[in-house]
Amino acid sequence: MIKIQFFSLVRLLIKQEATEVPWVEGETVQSVLDKTQAQIATPFLHKLLNEEGVAHTGTIILVNRKNILHLNGLKTPIADDDVLAFFPPGAGG
Amino acid sequence: MVKDRYARQILHWGAEKQKLIEQSSLLIAGVGGLGATVSQLLVRAGIGRLYLVDDGHLDWPDLNRQTLYGEKDVGLAKLPLAKERLNQINSSTEIVEIPGRIDADFQVPAGVDGVADCLDNYQSRFELYRAVSAGTYFVHGGLNGNQGQVLTLLSGKSQPFEEVFAGAVQPQGTIPVTPDSVVIIAGLMVNELFSVLWKTPKLLDRCLVISLDDFHIDFMDI
Repeated sequence: MIKIQFFSLVRLLIKQEATEVPWVEGETVQSVLDKTQAQIATPFLHKLLNEEGVAHTGTIILVNRKNILHLNGLKTPIADDDVLAFFPPGAGG
Repeated sequence: MVKDRYARQILHWGAEKQKLIEQSSLLIAGVGGLGATVSQLLVRAGIGRLYLVDDGHLDWPDLNRQTLYGEKDVGLAKLPLAKERLNQINSSTEIVEIPGRIDADFQVPAGVDGVADCLDNYQSRFELYRAVSAGTYFVHGGLNGNQGQVLTLLSGKSQPFEEVFAGAVQPQGTIPVTPDSVVIIAGLMVNELFSVLWKTPKLLDRCLVISLDDFHIDFMDI
């Protein structure tokens, strides 16, 4: 299984802290996102991806604590038992 | 020093930890929303030395949350005001002003025991983290409306701040910030800064994520 954690405004939007989706061979961040959206009634992908399907600036996506922008973006391969985190940090001070 | 000034907190954390606070120096990047309260609480606790960095002037919208300033200060540079107010609160803390913006040329003074990121934009935060020398703790705070986070990184060992927050560019427009949310996040930062000074950080590579909408607190491993 793949664990997906939701933080801050993403958690509030979909009203849950985490979910799990089954892992299959060839899984990527993008395919996990699609599976996760199919499992959750509230639309949330628009908070993570822009109209071209590219990860937004604003919500960081971590795979096993690493930002996907320092991996292979949405094409980053996902292994069984990986943990994804979606977090829109507050920028103000 | 007035006798018993720190009596109430020493009852809680003991004389040894108090001594560490009084012997320590921290850099506070930004004396706006977060930085005004963070520096104030550290001074009240008896921190030995604070380096304050800022280049801003006080504006009316700052007054809702920037706890060192008042109406008569509008239009004035924040840094000398902060120094004056902090000196009034506790004259035993040495306050060192570093005027200017944090950019690629910024240097963190040698010997600081930690850096508090009280900034309000990612570009300056990225520059600040680059200026922190290996082995120095970096305590980050940030917020947006009722959402906020606090995270500690150890320069040279943790993932660099810019890698963790890659892609988290500044949102367009003014960020909503309330008096209560700023003071809560600032208070959590100070609690963590004390732990850093005692070499027992609680949020090292572990982001505390707070939502005041439903009083939800969570941890995100970094």
